[in-house]
Amino acid sequence: MLFTIGDYLAGMLVGAATALGVRIVIWPGMDMVIAMLVGMGLGMAVHIVLGLVLGPAIGMFEAMIPASLIGMYGGMFFAMRDSMAAGSRTLAAALAVGAVFGAIVVAGVHFYDQTLRGAVVDTGE
Amino acid sequence: MDTATQKKWDAASRNFDFISWGDDQRLGPHKRRLFSKMNGATFMLAAGTGNDFRFFPPGHSVIAIDISAKMLERAAKKAAEYEGKIELRQMDVCRLEFGDNTFDTIVTVCTFCSVPKPVAGLRELYRVLKPGGQILMFEHVRSRIGPLGVFLDLMTPLSRRVGPDLNRDTVGNVLKAGFRIRREENVYLDIVKIIEGVKP
Repeated sequence: MLFTIGDYLAGMLVGAATALGVRIVIWPGMDMVIAMLVGMGLGMAVHIVLGLVLGPAIGMFEAMIPASLIGMYGGMFFAMRDSMAAGSRTLAAALAVGAVFGAIVVAGVHFYDQTLRGAVVDTGE
Repeated sequence: MDTATQKKWDAASRNFDFISWGDDQRLGPHKRRLFSKMNGATFMLAAGTGNDFRFFPPGHSVIAIDISAKMLERAAKKAAEYEGKIELRQMDVCRLEFGDNTFDTIVTVCTFCSVPKPVAGLRELYRVLKPGGQILMFEHVRSRIGPLGVFLDLMTPLSRRVGPDLNRDTVGNVLKAGFRIRREENVYLDIVKIIEGVKP
């Protein structure tokens, strides 16, 4: 149970940190394609740093896999939004959206994990 | 002896227990379940700092090797605490100092992500395993889920510098070495797996 809570907190932290980085680097009116590429790169960098910091506490794969999805896709989505100045007008709102995005990705990974978990091959010996 | 691999894991031994704390807590029960199938003369490959000895059922006699002398230094205390016998030896999996058909059970934990020539290493394990013997593996592998597989491919050049490859096809390598797969189980997504093989 504690690890599950840790997974969600870690995902929310990575999401918020990615949103913060994107908000600092991307300005309204920036070319959207460039913004999305920059956002993706930034999100990947955030995920590597935070994943390595959080990994010893919650498990390397449990930290790195959701963080990679949050960083990569979150970075692109947040950059798209910020280049268009489309919503999340305040920094607090942007961070909150980042945290919610992180939590949703963690929930998705947990669901997928439950679906995949178990025997793939079992000869019964 | 592969000195490059040896130096890498000597360096990794300093922080190994700290880095793997979360994994040990979360994955420990799965390892304990897997190791409950150990029987007869048992050989553990890549003992590391001995973190996995606590998941062995008591009363077994195990020979455990690692390529890194620093890892084995740290493993010695944990081996002494095991309620059975664990003999530690420094050895390269590709040049095992055992005769053919020596062991009944071989155990590996997150090993074939790191062996530079995995199929050669697995063939060496096949050689020292008795016919009908089992190999019990707890390994992480490349995901077959599109974006996760690509992510693991992208991360491998970085991870390889300080530790393991993240994109190995260990199930395929086990088959290439001649083992028959008795059981394959996903533990986390399709990345962390239990693989049980048998030497026909």
